[in-house]
Amino acid sequence: MDGQIESTAKSEAATSNVGGAGRGFRPGWWRGTLSVLAGLALWEILSRYLVANALFLAAPSQIVRALITLAESGQLERHVGISALEFAVGYVIASIVGIALGLVMASSVAMKQSLQPWISGFYATPTIALAPLFILWLGVGVWSKVVVVVTLVLFPVTINTEAGIRTTSERLIEMLRSFGATRLQIFLKVSLPSATPFILAGLKLGIGRGLIGVVVAELFGSRAGLGQLISQSADSFNMPNLFAAVIVLAAAGIVLTAGFGWLESKLVPWTKD
Amino acid sequence: MTTKLAVSALGKRFGNLDVLQGIGVQIAEGEFISIVGPSGCGKTTFLRIVAGLEQSTSGEVRLDGKVVREPGTDRGFVFQTDSLLPWRTVLANAMIGPEVAGQAGQAEKRRTLDLLKLVGLGGFEGYYPRQLSGGMRQRVNLARALAVDPKILLMDEPFSALDAQTREIMQTELMRIWEQGRKTVLFVTHQIDEAVFLSDRVFVFARRPGRVRETVEIDLPRPRALAVKRTPEFVRYVDRIWKMIEEDVRESVLHENA
Repeated sequence: MDGQIESTAKSEAATSNVGGAGRGFRPGWWRGTLSVLAGLALWEILSRYLVANALFLAAPSQIVRALITLAESGQLERHVGISALEFAVGYVIASIVGIALGLVMASSVAMKQSLQPWISGFYATPTIALAPLFILWLGVGVWSKVVVVVTLVLFPVTINTEAGIRTTSERLIEMLRSFGATRLQIFLKVSLPSATPFILAGLKLGIGRGLIGVVVAELFGSRAGLGQLISQSADSFNMPNLFAAVIVLAAAGIVLTAGFGWLESKLVPWTKD
Repeated sequence: MTTKLAVSALGKRFGNLDVLQGIGVQIAEGEFISIVGPSGCGKTTFLRIVAGLEQSTSGEVRLDGKVVREPGTDRGFVFQTDSLLPWRTVLANAMIGPEVAGQAGQAEKRRTLDLLKLVGLGGFEGYYPRQLSGGMRQRVNLARALAVDPKILLMDEPFSALDAQTREIMQTELMRIWEQGRKTVLFVTHQIDEAVFLSDRVFVFARRPGRVRETVEIDLPRPRALAVKRTPEFVRYVDRIWKMIEEDVRESVLHENA
């Protein structure tokens, strides 16, 4: 379990480096663009002429129209605003608590042994299944979603933070020790900076999990939000609106992850090669 | 000549294995000393005890008369691997010693910049380790150890990871730098010719238990150029030392392959 998580963290750190370094267009970029355009065209043809049933599938052109209508009516803004608030509050809480918990775990063997089963257990549990419970406890408002986001984002952040601190190079620690550095100096000057790529990888993992958390929790019961828009559109067989909400979510995921890649290239440029 | 480092009856046990036993040596101010010996003779352990990174089980190490118990900025350690912090520039890496000691002021910065120039890295202070070659990284490693202005420089096979040509260049560079300040140096190496080329005296270690088998004075004029390596005197020194440890090396090779 432990090793698995670590390797996830490493490969995540590695892939994000590629993203960080790959800014600007590489030769062959047009292949990706062409592929997406072809896919959209196929989708358009499929939904217009083959399925030809608005109850089952919406064409890209219809989705764009739905997006514009939703935006003009102010509905889109309201739904996105609520979901974004739930995500942001939950994500920030989970990041702060997650990093703190990871540092506590890395501080001593006893701490790690006491906390490890809980962290691993919660990480492996699809805590999203507890969303109805949180809604029962906290109501259909914002806070039940915040809690769901926290339970999903917290654990990968904690696990990565702990792994990052623990895998700090012994050589570097020894180098600092040779100058008579204190424990606190070693932590601040070596352990923390060398754990930063891991922590960022954990936070990046949390973006996708947090977005899923918001939407699924909203599906279970809410007054507004993109999840609510999806469930309401599904109930009324309004496929263009349903897809519009999904597209907004996908865009949010892509933008946030790309933003993170940029942040990584600024904060931890040494992991590039 | 005043004694810089005095080691007496030094021993180190790991379980019931004597890694080091009864080591007693005196090193004078400004001497360049190399330690050679077969693997497993405890030469690196000895260096680490002098650095305070490890504790001895018996005996003591005195630097300027003061007993050494823990690491400190009165000694500068040059590591086998460069051990540079990848997120720091060359200058910030070289400044880590003064920084840890709480003395990273303008004066130290100027001094460190001068040191970087001395080791041949003038103009590279803003570079990151990943932008440097192996030889350049070891130069930073050396400048970092010198930046605390140590009383003694402890070098643990610093050129062993470099290719043969770079290693030779670094040996002459080290000589050039050493000639300027004549710091006391304790240099651990596998390469007998490296030890002879650099040193005033070579401590030849034996294994099981790790101890000083013999001390060889190298009476070659300084400053030494690389060409000295092809003189008959030089070759005689290398041969003599090699004969001392040959038996031990054979044994250790067999032992490791068994």
